[in-house]
Amino acid sequence: MREMTFVEATREALAAAMEIDPTIFVMGEGIGVRGGNFMTTLGLYEKFGPERLRDTPISERGFVGLCTGAAMAGARPVVDFMFVDFILDAMGELINQMAKVQYMTSGRLKLPMILRGAIGIGNSAATHHSGSYYPTFVNVPGFRVVVPSTPHDAKGLFATALEGDDPVFFLEHKALLYSKGPVPEEHYTIPFGQARIAQAGRDVTVVALSVMVKKTLEAAEALAAEGLSVEVIDPRTLAPLDMPAILQSVHKTGRLLIVDEWFGPCGIGAEIAAQVMDQAFDDLDAPVRRLNGAHTPTPYSPPLEAALIPNVAAIAQAIRDLAAE
Amino acid sequence: MAVEIVMPRFGWTMEEGLLAEWTKKDGEAVAVGEVLFTVESDKALNEVESFETGVLRIPPGSPPPGSVVKVGALLAYIVQPGEAAPFEAEAAVSLAVAVQGREQAEAAHPAKPPARSVEPVGKRAISPRARRVAAELGVDFTQLGGSGHTGRIIERDIRAASAKRPAPAEVRASPLARRAAAELGVNLEHLAASRPGRRLERADVEAAAQAATQAPSMADRPSLPITAARRVIAERMMAGAHTTAPVTLTTEVDATELVRLRAQLKNDPAAAAQPIPSYTDLMAKLVAHALGEHPALNAGLEGAAGGPVHIGLAVDTERGLLVPVLRDVATKGVRQIAQAAAALIARARAGQLTADEMRGSTFTLTNLGMYEIDAFTPIINLPECAILGLGRIVAKQVVVDAAAERVAIRQMMFVSLTFDHRRIDGAPAARGLQRIKQLIEQPYLWLVT
Repeated sequence: MREMTFVEATREALAAAMEIDPTIFVMGEGIGVRGGNFMTTLGLYEKFGPERLRDTPISERGFVGLCTGAAMAGARPVVDFMFVDFILDAMGELINQMAKVQYMTSGRLKLPMILRGAIGIGNSAATHHSGSYYPTFVNVPGFRVVVPSTPHDAKGLFATALEGDDPVFFLEHKALLYSKGPVPEEHYTIPFGQARIAQAGRDVTVVALSVMVKKTLEAAEALAAEGLSVEVIDPRTLAPLDMPAILQSVHKTGRLLIVDEWFGPCGIGAEIAAQVMDQAFDDLDAPVRRLNGAHTPTPYSPPLEAALIPNVAAIAQAIRDLAAE
Repeated sequence: MAVEIVMPRFGWTMEEGLLAEWTKKDGEAVAVGEVLFTVESDKALNEVESFETGVLRIPPGSPPPGSVVKVGALLAYIVQPGEAAPFEAEAAVSLAVAVQGREQAEAAHPAKPPARSVEPVGKRAISPRARRVAAELGVDFTQLGGSGHTGRIIERDIRAASAKRPAPAEVRASPLARRAAAELGVNLEHLAASRPGRRLERADVEAAAQAATQAPSMADRPSLPITAARRVIAERMMAGAHTTAPVTLTTEVDATELVRLRAQLKNDPAAAAQPIPSYTDLMAKLVAHALGEHPALNAGLEGAAGGPVHIGLAVDTERGLLVPVLRDVATKGVRQIAQAAAALIARARAGQLTADEMRGSTFTLTNLGMYEIDAFTPIINLPECAILGLGRIVAKQVVVDAAAERVAIRQMMFVSLTFDHRRIDGAPAARGLQRIKQLIEQPYLWLVT
């Protein structure tokens, strides 16, 4: 099977969908002729023209509102934020309008929209360009939140997002954008709410988000040499969340660690832990643990930045500690 | 609207009852008045009837038959046809909101905590998973150490403890030994355990068989569980023996006339179909007569002496001592008493006595004569104040005329009256016993009213 990058995989899905569905258009800063800061739309302007690849001024509230209206009118917009941090200017449009339109019109109006953006810490992107913010979107009723970790998953999930009726946050970690992996040529979709067992194991379950999946797999390999068998789950979508897969794994291992680059307080790990405690209390042999990035604005200084994020060694130690509980 | 079926209270002091069996099944239709289940309380078997018409629903966590249940504990529901039982409705709700989050569901339908037995572990903590596995494997973790970080007992501790339990070991024995063991009924595993490291020979098996016939080992004897009935008897006897001031008076009575009376009653062809009055029946009648004259010895729950005489009969049954009550003995004839007593004794032996039939006695009779007992010290059956124990009737040589130095063979019987000296003094009690003696020796006095 051919290998391609994460970004190429999503581009392939987007291009294929745009050929079939004329209502799909892309809006964002630098996504037209330039082909996107992260090359998310490279080559599409030449194919589909300025009508469907619309560059915008720096006015997120404006063009998010515009796309919301377009979706309500029957189009299928893809809003490309570049850095997801920029979405914060459009919170009013997102939470009070986009998330609630289907509810408030009793489903008469659909809101098919993709909000894509790069997330995550790395390369000294610093305080305004390192956010993930997904707990906020998961918490608001009305959104889908997708966090793929491999090119294969990226293409399949993007295709699914383009076929639904709901606003979908498609959050791509910067450190993953140019990672390579096998991607099938044909069209395929991956349903939302279906986790991937990245690696099967017996002793400890680790749920890892986005870029943490790869790091956890590395840590698990090191631990296998120590005799610890780690099961690694990539939820792939956070809303909806595949709790049954997590519960099944906890039933097997009795121990759960959630690894997430984003902050601990009120994070995805907290939600998973609460649900597991509630629904699988008798399966737990030890308390549920979370490993998160430090709860602080992201520094510019490279060594400080590195110190913030869980690295492979930290993940391995957290798993070891949990196994010894 | 589901109606709760709970363990009822039979009797003032009842705090728990043994759920004997369900006479209706889960899902079965029930009409008002039909028996739902039976309860063994105190020493009686009680039928619990339904006050509703509907369908019986027994929740999965309901105490199984044979378990002791607190009064008021929930056992089942009666719902209307088509109505879901409360335990089903809760399950449907939790499934529906599992996808959306449980907060609203918890507020609307607070989940009943599942009926799980709570085991206090003391200071050592145990993880929920370990507790569950311990229950599955039948491991008692109260004495276990924990290898969890905080000293917590975790799953591997339970599994280790379970694995340590001795598995049936491979018994080393010669073929002849095995055959002998099969023939003589000797347990090779037990024998091997007492001779570790040795290969069993036929001689070992034969020696073990020999020893077994002489001295049955305590270890092999099954221990008898203490039943609810035994517990109640124990409590009652303790109360009777230690809260009263018991004094036993004994006197030897010439029962020859009584024996003659019974023989006549027995040989009466007209009454062939009826139960023959036993000595106990005759004694009940004459004691009731005596108590009419000595009311201080006749006391019931209210404590006041006098009033109607209800005589409790001590009956030996498989489940222990039961005391059904003959009501208003003074107003009944001997034949009537004999029939009532025979019926009560039969019901007692069959375990069918109701609590009512064992309540309200004002005096108790206990007869051990059939076991060749001469005299004994019966224990007062509270709240009564006296009890009469009857010994065996034996033909003896007695002095009938001391002056003439004449002896005769008479049918002699010891009777023993235990009375509560708190309530009655020795002399009045003795007078009462003396009167009983007179009535035994001169039956015409009470046969003619």
